[in-house]
Amino acid sequence: MASKVIRNVTWDFLNEVIQDGSRVFPKEELERLRFCIQCGTCVGGCPSGRISALRIRKIFRETQLGLKETVLSDDNLWNCTTCYTCQERCPRGVHTTNTVRIIRNLAVKYGYIKNNHRRICEFFLTYGHAVPINDETRQVRKDLGLAEAPPTVHSHPESLAEVLKLAEETGFKKIVERTAK
Amino acid sequence: MSEEPRIGVFVCHCGLNIAGVIDVKELTEYARTIPNVVVAMDNRYTCADPGQEEIRKAIKEHKLNRVVVAACSPRLHEPTFRRTVAEAGLNPYVFEMANVREFSSWCHPSTPEEATEKAKDIVRMAVAKARLLQGLETIEVPVTNKTLILGGGIAGISAALDLAAMGFKVYLVERGESIGGHMAQLDKTFPTLDCSICIEGPKMVDVSRHPNIEIISYADILSVEGFVGNFKVKIRKNPRYIIAENCTGCGECRDVCPIEFPNEWDMNMGVRKAISVPFEQAVPLVYTINMDYCIECYKCVDACGARQAINFDQKPEEIELEVGTIITATGFDIYIPYDNSLYGYGRYNNVITALELERLILAAGPTGGKLVRASDGKKPHSVVIIQCVGSRDVNKYEYCSGFCCMYALKHSIQLKEKYGDDVEVYILYIDMRTHFKGYEEFYQRARDLGVNFIRGKVSHIIEDPETKNLIIRAEDMALGEPIELVAEFVVLSTAAIPSKGTEEMARILNVTRGADGFFMESHPKLKPIDTATDGIFLAGACQGPKDIPYSVSQGSGAASRAATILSQPTWKIEPIIAVVDPNKCRNTKAKCGICETRCPYGAIKAPEGQPAQVTTAMCHGCGTCVAECPADAITQMHFTDAQIFAQIRTALEKNPQDKILAFLCNWCSYAGADLAGTSRFEYPPTIRAIRVMCSGRVDRDFVLEAFRLGAGMVLVAACHLPYDCHYISGNVKMKARMEALVKIFEKLGLSPERFRVEYVSAAEGVKFAELIKEMTEQMEALGKEEIKAENEKLQPTLEKMLSKKQA
Repeated sequence: MASKVIRNVTWDFLNEVIQDGSRVFPKEELERLRFCIQCGTCVGGCPSGRISALRIRKIFRETQLGLKETVLSDDNLWNCTTCYTCQERCPRGVHTTNTVRIIRNLAVKYGYIKNNHRRICEFFLTYGHAVPINDETRQVRKDLGLAEAPPTVHSHPESLAEVLKLAEETGFKKIVERTAK
Repeated sequence: MSEEPRIGVFVCHCGLNIAGVIDVKELTEYARTIPNVVVAMDNRYTCADPGQEEIRKAIKEHKLNRVVVAACSPRLHEPTFRRTVAEAGLNPYVFEMANVREFSSWCHPSTPEEATEKAKDIVRMAVAKARLLQGLETIEVPVTNKTLILGGGIAGISAALDLAAMGFKVYLVERGESIGGHMAQLDKTFPTLDCSICIEGPKMVDVSRHPNIEIISYADILSVEGFVGNFKVKIRKNPRYIIAENCTGCGECRDVCPIEFPNEWDMNMGVRKAISVPFEQAVPLVYTINMDYCIECYKCVDACGARQAINFDQKPEEIELEVGTIITATGFDIYIPYDNSLYGYGRYNNVITALELERLILAAGPTGGKLVRASDGKKPHSVVIIQCVGSRDVNKYEYCSGFCCMYALKHSIQLKEKYGDDVEVYILYIDMRTHFKGYEEFYQRARDLGVNFIRGKVSHIIEDPETKNLIIRAEDMALGEPIELVAEFVVLSTAAIPSKGTEEMARILNVTRGADGFFMESHPKLKPIDTATDGIFLAGACQGPKDIPYSVSQGSGAASRAATILSQPTWKIEPIIAVVDPNKCRNTKAKCGICETRCPYGAIKAPEGQPAQVTTAMCHGCGTCVAECPADAITQMHFTDAQIFAQIRTALEKNPQDKILAFLCNWCSYAGADLAGTSRFEYPPTIRAIRVMCSGRVDRDFVLEAFRLGAGMVLVAACHLPYDCHYISGNVKMKARMEALVKIFEKLGLSPERFRVEYVSAAEGVKFAELIKEMTEQMEALGKEEIKAENEKLQPTLEKMLSKKQA
């Protein structure tokens, strides 16, 4: 492996994560990311990290160093199950899991989206469901004495227009379309 | 003073430092024109002997009763000239300094005319204050040359032995049955591995034998009253049910006692008898009956026989002591991590704390020095030591406990030296902190002995239900991989925390505590042993976690600090204090007491129905109560309302709209402004500064008056928040007061940039210069006309606000 040469350490990316995330979470909670001292408590207790290459601590280290592309393009970003174990235990009070969620949003914003994720998004735009109903589920519902389709877009196809409107208003549609390959 | 002020003004050239910029002749001429100035003269170096002689001569010749020297900063030569006027027979407090060097010639070199004009203002302001100066008498209080030391740990012992050796009477009060503290509980000490009790025991015996030391053990402090040199302390001696003078410490009573209970000294892992001593080397060697367990079989009474040392009717006894100083050495407690579910302490038998390990490996401990697992009584072959349990954790204790790295190294070395390859020792840590003499070498010794170091904080521990072994999950940071360790035994290096009762003790002593709960020192760098209350000092871990060498040093330090008072027959107190006018104080009619809540030192009390009273010896003269008093009933000597109003009015006599009126606190912002001068940072000559001891002194009315008179801008500058204030919290009180004022100004329509509250440290000369530059630019941007217009609009309201106050 070639050595990573870090030039011009910058707080730009970390600031961007906090700025972007503060639309969703309280800013002062996300600011805690600056306090990470790389103690490894997060990785030590990470259930996903035991079977994958996810190293939460490393993601935060790279974020602190401003290695934006490295962080956003890392496949492991998507191996976090958001179980919040690390956030509960962090001795520095870093809102770890929430921060990962913000970084994921940024990854998508900059075009780093997994194929499967994009397909789910497209499902949502096409069917009004991230996971549309299939024949098997229809049968189960029937067997249980329920209506074959749930009282959602599946029963009211005309409501899809409303879903699409929401997707447009929130900018969701634009992001999905931009990342389409 | 009712006599007509006769003021002399002495202008100093300071070589060319002042005279190179300011027209000294013109300034001296100008001074002669100020009312009440009877003589003004200039001198090349006023602070040199001929200059001082000139002042002394003038005082006699012209019958001067006030003196103003226009020269450098009062922070430099005020004490010099106070001595000069005193030598000429005047009271030293009728002297005032006009700082025309740091505040004018040095910071306005390229605008000599404006610098001279500013210097005239500065001199006129000084004269205005001088007219109202009063002579003050230094207050002296008697000193009782005895000291009280709270806590008989190694810090208290060191302080006691030092003071006793200097010849002072020492009362050493200990809450427990024996002195010795935590050190007496330890097996060995780092980094030399001396046996702890072998080096502390002799000191304990020295204490008990010293004719100047009286140990009062098994006792609680009930109350402390008084002030430096004159404390009255009430103490309750708890009943041991033993007559101390008759007890020989033979232990025959213990041998016959049938009752055992868990011994706290052994961290409850061993037992002691209902009549016993906590450990063999206890000092004083007096037995105690634990009445919670005693069944009153009286076997001990029989065993004691003719010595008749046992008395079941003993009652608590209250005693009162008078002492001049108090040293607080109440130590620390160890965090017992019952509430930490991740490491399983209290649930998993084979997880213990480091202090428990200490008792296990100690030969006199409950297992006779054998390391055994509670689950099966077997010796473990792998031991994992976990660092930072509770420490450096925002969910528990944010601070670093300081000595855990060292004691973990000690434990690892002890285990390796005792068991060799038969035991694997791991230390899991965040950072290894080994920063004192011989400590890094100690770390190397552990590595040399084959201790495994893993950088990574343990995330959690799981117990194997069958083997009772422990599975430790962490990350090996060096590898960047999660790891799993299986250990037969886990030791938790838990945090050092404020000892039980610290909160109550802080209340009794009127000593502040930091955010971490430990007692707070008066100044973190320069007064690390003093507290905010004069005459009360700190030693050892009650101020924050400390190891043994550090505690011993601080004990000696506290002894030395106490001796500076104890060695004097009387103690002098600067007379710049607060004085209450009982006729004006509102507290007699209504429940007010605002002053009491604002005083950082607890020096002012407002008992219901009575006027507030200042305990002179406790007052530090910050003036916060003076500014807060709604009835203007309190005066700060040497910084009276009248004096400061006179300075304000004089400063704003001419062209007020072009001026920034500034209130600078003596210790930080005035010093910062001085530094801007000494560093020759040039800034516009717009500012007129008034020195106060603390920003807490800045009364709302001062700001209102400045704007009433048409000031362009007003600046209040203080020490940085939250801890830089030299009077603990004067800046915090000022901030709250000014924030409320800002809201009023908002409503009145004052441009927000015209009133600034800033924090400038003594090191921030650059910041001060930049600040004045920025404010001047803002003032110019607003424009004279706009400022005048605003002032006209404000004036009626301000007049009303100020007149209401005076009525």
